[in-house]
Amino acid sequence: MKWNLRTTPEGTRDLLLEECVVRRRVERTLTEGFRLHGFSEVMTPGLEFYDLFASVIDERDMYKMSDNKGRLLVMRPDSTLPIARLVSARLQQAPLPVRLYYAQDVFHLNHGLYGRFDQVFQAGVELIGATGLRADLEMVVLAAESLLRAGAEDFRLEIGHIGVFNSLMEQLDCAPADKEALRDLIESKSYAALSDLLDTLPAGPAVEAIRRLPQLFGDASVLDQAKVLLPGETAAAALSYLQSLYTLLCDMGFEKQIQIDLGMVHRNEYYTGVIFRGYVSGSGEAVLSGGRYDTLLARFGSDLPATGFGINMDALCRLHLQQGNVAPPAAPQKLLFAPAGKEAAMHRRAAELRAAGVCCECSVYDSLERSRAYAAAKGIAELEIVNGEE
Amino acid sequence: MTKPIRMALTKGRIEKSTVELLDRMGLDTSAVKEKGRRLILPVGDRLEVVLAKAADVITYVEHGVCDMGVVGKDTIAESGGSYYEMLDLGFGKCRFALAAPKGTDFFAGYQSRTVATKYPNVARAYFERKGMNVRIIKIEGSVELAPLLSLADGIVDIVETGTTLRENGLEVVEDVMPVSSRVIVNMASLKLRKQEIEQWIARMEAAREEQNG
Repeated sequence: MKWNLRTTPEGTRDLLLEECVVRRRVERTLTEGFRLHGFSEVMTPGLEFYDLFASVIDERDMYKMSDNKGRLLVMRPDSTLPIARLVSARLQQAPLPVRLYYAQDVFHLNHGLYGRFDQVFQAGVELIGATGLRADLEMVVLAAESLLRAGAEDFRLEIGHIGVFNSLMEQLDCAPADKEALRDLIESKSYAALSDLLDTLPAGPAVEAIRRLPQLFGDASVLDQAKVLLPGETAAAALSYLQSLYTLLCDMGFEKQIQIDLGMVHRNEYYTGVIFRGYVSGSGEAVLSGGRYDTLLARFGSDLPATGFGINMDALCRLHLQQGNVAPPAAPQKLLFAPAGKEAAMHRRAAELRAAGVCCECSVYDSLERSRAYAAAKGIAELEIVNGEE
Repeated sequence: MTKPIRMALTKGRIEKSTVELLDRMGLDTSAVKEKGRRLILPVGDRLEVVLAKAADVITYVEHGVCDMGVVGKDTIAESGGSYYEMLDLGFGKCRFALAAPKGTDFFAGYQSRTVATKYPNVARAYFERKGMNVRIIKIEGSVELAPLLSLADGIVDIVETGTTLRENGLEVVEDVMPVSSRVIVNMASLKLRKQEIEQWIARMEAAREEQNG
């Protein structure tokens, strides 16, 4: 037998029994929450043109292939860009804002044996055609509610604003390559390396502010510190916006779960405003990520503001499985057995039972003993013998 | 009472220096010093130390099974990954350098060069920054051997004093990056246990200052 006939490619896996139970449960819980908020489902193809993602997602991280005309395709690495495309192309007449949700796989080509999966089941929402505090508040509230609904009681949601970073970068006199490096160092909170790089730049208030940026995370006091530290009107506007959002979220009772992180800059460049991330006890990486992206839809010909987030459902499923609060699918309640010649009667009886909501199997064996043994092995409590007499 | 913070230490010299640091912080590190074959060891009642190979420290921290880790910048540069790199502990200082046989000009001419290294990612990133197309060969053991056997024109390796290089007729062509021990932190841990982790970082920083001052 060939070596690869009994395994799946690296980064993929089969889901069995209780893994499917928990996955469907998490999906149902999350999407039901989205639906109750007035969002409608869309599904986008698993294959898309490479160009759709080319300027946003690193080409090395995408699974690529070509179509029958030699054009480059990728396996969907993200759901936000396809939804931006479909709204621009097909939902131009819809009343704004458009509220859409999805629950589908995305594919990432992982390099090396880090134990990450290349196929990730994501659910998320996009709120398109709305700007301002009300829309941003709705997103963060829905994000927090979604984590709660999915059973993650101990969670943190951190909010930031890309305007803080962008305004500091504008005030900084340095090469684009250095700006990219600064973004990475702030994002990874590499204090030492960040300091080294900043020392090579001409000193100024922006340089000092950037030096402190990764440390500016925590409760509301961060905003007060930042107001003193961060120069520029854009930064001040971003901070007062965050302050309003934070106050509203505290009014909602999320004071303990919401944190500010001004050093959050997100690696995706399409974000333009409030950004946020969710962390859950028991999962080492962010399980939720999102933010405002007001310029993205213009690339597809419709200039609409938008915001949204995605949740890694696989990570939530892993938590449920780790906590062990998932039972494998239950055995049927009944096994039906009929002697030779009574098969049709057996299936009539089974249909009756199923109509009443009873889960039952019809025995494939023609001997009662073997049927009994099967029921015992499968854990089916009751064996019913059908003789055909009504 | 929540569970203690779990910190992964790179076995060997980094482990020794970190334990000295923990001693200065007034912690009871006797369990680490007399560890026997155990790999998870309590230090006081709020810290748990795990001993691992350098690259594994990163893996454990990245996956969140350890909240913090102490590991060399060399391993960080080679392995990459997502975590916070929050503190330079200042010990384990050395550097990555490009070295070539004494008297040769590594950058001369237009023929493509071959470089032997234990750190292919560091080497590749370095030559990409220079815009050079270089053939990189991964070597597991003594990299100095590769130019001596004419397998490579140069090496990218860790240099401390340069003695090994000199003894093998090699010299440093250019420094690639400085290296020292760093404290790394899992991203979710920092968010979920912010206060505790910030306190540990601050205490370690204070102990480092004390040692240097």
